[in-house]
Amino acid sequence: MSGLTFRLTNAPADRLDLSGLTPKHLASIPLAEVLKLNVGTTKTGLKVGDVFAVSGKPGETIKFEGSTNKLDFIGADLEHGSIIVEGDVGVSAGSNMRGGRLDIRGDAGSLLGSGISGGEIFVKGSAGSQVGGLTAGEKFGMTGGLIVVEGHAGDRAGDRMRRGTILIRGKCGSFAGSRMVGGTIWTELGFGADPGLLMRRGTLIAPSVDQILPTFVDTGRHDLVVLRILSRYMREKLGALAPKPLPDLVRKYAGDLSTIGKGELLTTA
Amino acid sequence: MKLNGIAIDDTFAEAFGMAGTGVIITADTLKWARIAAVTMSGFGTSVIGAGAEVGIDRELKPEETPDGRPGVRVLLFGFSPDAAASQLKTRVGQCVLTSPGSACYAGVESDKRIGLGKGPRYFGDGFQTAKKLGDKRYWRVPVMDGEFVIEETTGVVADAVGGGNLIILGNDRAGLLQTAEAAVDAIATVDDVITPFPGGIVRSGSKVGSKYKGAIASTNDAFCPTLRGRVKSELSPDTIAVLEIVIDGLTSKAVAEAMRVGLKTIIDQGGPKGVTRITAGNYGGKLGQHHYKLRELLP
Repeated sequence: MSGLTFRLTNAPADRLDLSGLTPKHLASIPLAEVLKLNVGTTKTGLKVGDVFAVSGKPGETIKFEGSTNKLDFIGADLEHGSIIVEGDVGVSAGSNMRGGRLDIRGDAGSLLGSGISGGEIFVKGSAGSQVGGLTAGEKFGMTGGLIVVEGHAGDRAGDRMRRGTILIRGKCGSFAGSRMVGGTIWTELGFGADPGLLMRRGTLIAPSVDQILPTFVDTGRHDLVVLRILSRYMREKLGALAPKPLPDLVRKYAGDLSTIGKGELLTTA
Repeated sequence: MKLNGIAIDDTFAEAFGMAGTGVIITADTLKWARIAAVTMSGFGTSVIGAGAEVGIDRELKPEETPDGRPGVRVLLFGFSPDAAASQLKTRVGQCVLTSPGSACYAGVESDKRIGLGKGPRYFGDGFQTAKKLGDKRYWRVPVMDGEFVIEETTGVVADAVGGGNLIILGNDRAGLLQTAEAAVDAIATVDDVITPFPGGIVRSGSKVGSKYKGAIASTNDAFCPTLRGRVKSELSPDTIAVLEIVIDGLTSKAVAEAMRVGLKTIIDQGGPKGVTRITAGNYGGKLGQHHYKLRELLP
């Protein structure tokens, strides 16, 4: 496994924008130039060399060591290769990813995987609000790929999500799948209040829901073949990380009937 | 050449390039997956008269299917990818969508794709929804027993082969049929091939053309025992029946393997059952791209 390692040497006072530190971008830059890349977000103009000790040589993998929640946009626009983060990350990690793999071995801030269209994001800890959500100025949130959060997730996960799969092993906050137009959000410990607010299409899966919107209608308990396909897909993609098999029958709530109502909230308990 | 008392002609089977596609049909039980598959395969004998040649390739265990239920793989062969797509749409729409508990998935993987659920999804009348997982898209069509799930596309191969064949001749019609049945059973163990005729066996081999205007094929009089003496017959005096096994495959290699397996079964079992000769159908080698020489397929 060849690649560069960025070890945080000085805890920055500023937030850092690390969106340019992807395998593809760094492969085209000499190491001396990498150290001069601007990662600051204020007029202090922090460079890579000011805050990181860089070792290794460019390759398909990048590793961040000692990361904190002030490091934003890690893995943004990643197309291929992998990024491993030891520690927490700030906002918009994996934003607009199109491929590759982002492995965060800590917590993630808000907008994790916003606008992602391909690739995989794994978070060992918890994530903030709007996982797979909407990048500012875009029409849709997540449009493909896979996001797995082993801990909990904040509010509005999958906001305006169109395709792809989000798995939250812990509990998901309120308004999950708000304005969703497709894709799947699966939580193993349940949704907070009002999942699927204004959702048009898409699938929300949970053992329980704190509060269901009045614009969702109970259609009864069903044996859905598509869930067998989904379970197999998750097993193949995630192995031991895959969620527990779903029961044969799930209760389906259709909604949000204040829009076209082709979405579904499936409760498994 | 004679093996086990059966004469084997030094000839070859002449087969043609076709477009081949396939689907996996699943259901709550293997019984219902088979019912859907058999129904879909009906009237799928000869591409000339039926529009497509269709048959069951094999049964699939639950762990081999996309939804973990028992399944059956059906292969369909047509003159072209477009012709195959048209037949697939009609057959799946009428025979699989309608079958209780069924679901339908791509049965062939290739870069070239044709529609599978693209047409049947409209049966949902606007209530259908799609689920994309990885690079596969599935349509969920509400039906009276739940949902019909169907993958959006399936693969098609343009270099499939249609018309591999074995012709067996004998002096005991019942024994000949039993031998042909055993050969078809053996061929069924080969992946990626079907034997599209009833029970895998043809009793009405044809020749090109007819005395009647408009008929493009007619009975192969040279192999009809009741015409011996009236036409230039291919049959020896003791031959009272002839049966043919036609084989279509996704690859030429699969067709050759199927012929080899069938040939071995006939040679092993045919002698005591009245099989006297094995030959193969061809058109002089000028029409079909694929030639399967019997002597190269002998056990």
